[in-house]
Amino acid sequence: MLRSLLVPRAAARSAFKQSPSSLPAVVAPSSIARWSKRGYATEAEEKDLVIIGGGVAGYVAAIKAGQEGMKVTCIEKRGTLGGTCLNVGCIPSKALLNNSHLYHQILHDTKARGIDVGDVKLNLAQMMKSKDTAVSGLTKGVEFLFKKNGVEYIKGTASFAGEHEIKVNLTEGGETTVVGKNIIIATGSEATPFPGLEIDEKRIITSTGAIALDKVPESMVVIGGGIIGLEMGSVWSRLGSKVTVVEFLPQIGGPGMDAEVSKAAQKILKKQGIDFKLNTKVLGGDTSGEKIKLEVEAAKGGKKETLDADVVLVAIGRRPYTAGLGLENIGLETDEKGRLVIDQEFRTKLPHIRVVGDCTFGPMLAHKAEEEAVAVVEWIKKGYGHVNYGAIPSVMYTHPEVAWVGQNEQEVKASGVEYKIGTFPFSANSRAKTNLDTEGFVKMIADAKTDRILGIHIIGPNAGEMIAEGTLALEYGAATEDIGRTSHAHPTLAEAFKEAAMATYGKAIHF
Amino acid sequence: MASFATACRLSARLTARQLRQDASARGFRTSAKVLAAQNFTMPALSPTMTEGNIGKWAVKEGDSFSAGDVLLEIETDKASMDVEAQDDGIMAKITQPDGTKGIKVGTRIGVLAEPGDDLSSLEIPAEESAAPEPKKEASKPKSEASSESSSSAPPTPSSSASSEAPAKPAGKPKKQTYPLLPSVGHLMKEHGIEESAIDKMIPSGPNGRLLKGDVLAYLGSVSSSYPSELSTKIEKLTHLDLSNIKLAVPAPKPAKAVEPAPEPIVPQETEVAVPISMRAVLDVQKRIQSTLGVFMPMSTFIARATDVANDNLPRSKTQALSADELFDQVLGLDKVTTASGVRGTFLPQITALPSAAPSVPVKPAKQLDIIDILAGGSRPSTLARKPVPGLSNSVNVFSVKVPKGDEKRAQVFLDRVKAVLEAEPGRLVL
Repeated sequence: MLRSLLVPRAAARSAFKQSPSSLPAVVAPSSIARWSKRGYATEAEEKDLVIIGGGVAGYVAAIKAGQEGMKVTCIEKRGTLGGTCLNVGCIPSKALLNNSHLYHQILHDTKARGIDVGDVKLNLAQMMKSKDTAVSGLTKGVEFLFKKNGVEYIKGTASFAGEHEIKVNLTEGGETTVVGKNIIIATGSEATPFPGLEIDEKRIITSTGAIALDKVPESMVVIGGGIIGLEMGSVWSRLGSKVTVVEFLPQIGGPGMDAEVSKAAQKILKKQGIDFKLNTKVLGGDTSGEKIKLEVEAAKGGKKETLDADVVLVAIGRRPYTAGLGLENIGLETDEKGRLVIDQEFRTKLPHIRVVGDCTFGPMLAHKAEEEAVAVVEWIKKGYGHVNYGAIPSVMYTHPEVAWVGQNEQEVKASGVEYKIGTFPFSANSRAKTNLDTEGFVKMIADAKTDRILGIHIIGPNAGEMIAEGTLALEYGAATEDIGRTSHAHPTLAEAFKEAAMATYGKAIHF
Repeated sequence: MASFATACRLSARLTARQLRQDASARGFRTSAKVLAAQNFTMPALSPTMTEGNIGKWAVKEGDSFSAGDVLLEIETDKASMDVEAQDDGIMAKITQPDGTKGIKVGTRIGVLAEPGDDLSSLEIPAEESAAPEPKKEASKPKSEASSESSSSAPPTPSSSASSEAPAKPAGKPKKQTYPLLPSVGHLMKEHGIEESAIDKMIPSGPNGRLLKGDVLAYLGSVSSSYPSELSTKIEKLTHLDLSNIKLAVPAPKPAKAVEPAPEPIVPQETEVAVPISMRAVLDVQKRIQSTLGVFMPMSTFIARATDVANDNLPRSKTQALSADELFDQVLGLDKVTTASGVRGTFLPQITALPSAAPSVPVKPAKQLDIIDILAGGSRPSTLARKPVPGLSNSVNVFSVKVPKGDEKRAQVFLDRVKAVLEAEPGRLVL
C-alpha cells in the first residue's frame, strides 16, 4: 500500500526539484540519495543472514559471513560497533590498566632501576582521552571492515516481528523491517546490578562507570573479587584510591582460577595495597551521606561491619541481555539465568535462528564469542563449525597477569584423574630477573600416566601472551614432554613455560 | 578441513545434518582417490521433511555442472524445489531416476565426482546411509572416537548431545600423516620401535593424532584402553554442557501494562540564524544595471554566496566517515594529512525581519510527514526551501536547520554568507 502511495508522490516531488530553481546543483544529489533510501525502507529484501548485535560476536559473524559471500545485515543500537568489549569493556580497561601501571611504576619503581624522574603528576583527563582515542580508533576500524566485506550496518534497536522479520527502530528516527533467511542473536550481556544499590555510574558504578570516573576517589569498595573487580580495583588503587575488595567466596579470581594461583595473586595484590575481605557478604548500602556506607557481614554469619567509600564498584558478574528483543513474539526460551536456550549447533528451537556470545551458555568472554561467531557462520554455510570449549583461555590483566587454560587442580582432583604437577617460578627465569619483575610462576597439570596436559596456570609477567602456547598445546592434545622438547628462545619469559613442562614430566634445569 | 569445500558442494539449502554426515565421513579418509566420488543423498529441504520425490533430473549421467547449476527438482508434500550445486563437479551416476517417489531423506539418489575425474575408472562408493529405516538413523555408527559427538543431536536442546553414549573409545590404528609429536618420536627411538609400528598404534588424540600416551599404551606401560578413556573425558569438556537446562518460568507478569513501546526518536534539530543586510547587494545590483544594462536577480547573489560559503566547511559531526577516511584513521594517518574541509550542502531559509518592507509571507517549515520518518534520514538542511519570496530589501534572517551537534558548522556557513553578501557582493557575480 505504502509503495503505491509513494510512487506518485515521488514523481511529484522530483518534478518540483527539476523545476527551474536557482540552486539546482546543490539540491539534486541529496534529493536522489533521499529517495533511493525511501525505496529500501518499504521493500524488505530477504538477506541470507541478519545479525542482531554488533559486539564481538555479532561483528565477527558479520564479517565472516561477508567473506563467505553471504548477503548480511548487522543491527546495532549503541551507535558504535564492538559492543561491550570495545566500548566499555576489555579495550578501555586495558588502556587504563596499562597507563595506570606506567604511572605507578614511575612513582614507585623507576628509581631502583636508575631512572630518576622529577615531579610526577597524574593527568586523569588526558589518561581518559588516550583511552577514548584507542576505543574510537578500534570501533571505527570495525566499521571500515564492514564496508570492506560488504556488510550492511543498520543503527537501531531490533525486535522480532515474526520468525524471519525483524523490526528495527532506527536510531536516527523511523523504522524499518529486515527479513533474514538466517538470523543470529548476539545481544551480549550487561552488568548484574546489586539488589538494593542503585547504579548511577557516578558513585555506585559498574565496570562502565569505572572506566570513566572524572576524579580519583579517595576510597573505593569493590563488590565481587572476580576478574573485572580486581582489574578495575587495580587501576584505581594504582592511581591513589584506597581499594577494598569484598568477596562472598573464599577465593578471589572467580571459581575458574586455580586455588594456588588465586592465593598467590591475592598475596601480591595485597602487597600493592588492595585490601581483601573474603567470605564476606554485602547486606546493603546507604548512599544518602557524603560517603556511601556499606554494611557487610561474614558469609557464615558473624558480626556486622560498616565500610565507608566514596565510590562502590558493583562487579558481581554479568547477565544475558535480551530485553526488548521480542523473544516472546516467536516463543524463544531462556533458562533461569536468562540465557537463550540452544543446541550444540547454536540453534534455538527455530533452527534458522541461532545464538552466540554472552547471551547464551558458556563463559562470557570476548574470544569465546569470537570463536562461536566464526563457527556459527560455518555451521550455516558449510554444515560444520569448530569451537573447543575445553581450550578457551582466561586472562586477568592485573600486574602480574594471571592466565589459565584447561582444568584447574580442584577440577582435575574432582574428576578422579590421577595427575602430576610441575611448576617453575619466574624468580628462576633470567628474563624476569633482568626485568626486575619476578613475581609468580607457571604451573602445569598433566595426566599422571600418559603425560597429556590437562590444564596450565600462569601468574606472572606477560602471562596473558604466554597462555596462547598452552592453548595450542591443549588443542593438539600435547603432553608436557612435547613442550619440554620444543625450543624456546633465550632469554625469554617463555622459558619458564618450557621449564614448567620439564618439571612436570622430568626435572626443570634451572630450579 | 579442506575437504569441507568439496563436501559442501551440495546445495546451500541442504540442511546441516546431511552436510555433516558427508563432512565427517569424508574428513577421516586419508586417501585422496576415495574423495573423488561422493554419494549424493536425498537432502532435507526443510527441517520437517522426511521423504521426497524426484521430480526431474536437470543433469544426465556424465554431465558436468558448475556451482549454482540446478541439479534436480525435488517434490515434497508441500512444494517442489530446485536443488542447486554448491561446487563444480560431474554427475557420475543417477541411482534414482525421474519420478521416483517416497525417497527417505539421506538415501542415495546419485553419485557426484570432482571436475576432471575419469568416470570410467571412478570407484563408486558404497551406499553409506541406512536411511530406509529412519529409526536406525539415530544409532548410525560414529566414524571415529574423536568425531563430532553431537552430530545427531536434534534441534531441540532438551535432548542434548551429552545424553548420547560416547563413541566406543578403542579406535582403530591409523596411518599418521603429520610429523610425529616430539615426545612420540623420542619414545620410539628410546625403545627402538620400528617406524612401521606407528601404523599399528591406536591414536587417541584430536583428529586421530598419535599421542605420547598411545605409545606408552603400545609399550604396555599403561593399560591399552587408558588413553582413549582419558580422551573421552577430555572430549566431554570440548562441548558446552547443555544438559539439565532449567527453563525460565514465563514470568507471570503482574497486571502491569505492556511496556510502552519506545517512541520513535525524532531527530533533534536546532535552527541557526544570522541576520544579513542586503543593502550592499542592492547597491551592486543597481550599479550593474546602470553600467552593463543587465538585471542581476537577488537570487543569483544568494545562490553564489551559498555556493562559496558551502565550500570547505568543517566536517559534520553527524556525517559518517567514508571508508577511505576510516582506514586512514585506523592507520593513524588522519592526523598527518592536513585537516581538509568538506563541502557542505546547506541551503539557507530566508525570512525578512518583520520591521522590513511587506513581503510575501514565508511558509512555515514543513512538518515531518510519515514518508520523512520512513526514510529515516532527516537532512532538512539540504531541503530546498524557496528562498526568494521572503526577501526584504534591508535586513533578512538567514537560517538553516541542522541536526544537534552541527550548530557550529552551520554558524560558520552563515557567517561566510554574511561576509560575502555584506562586504563585497560584486565579486560574486563579476
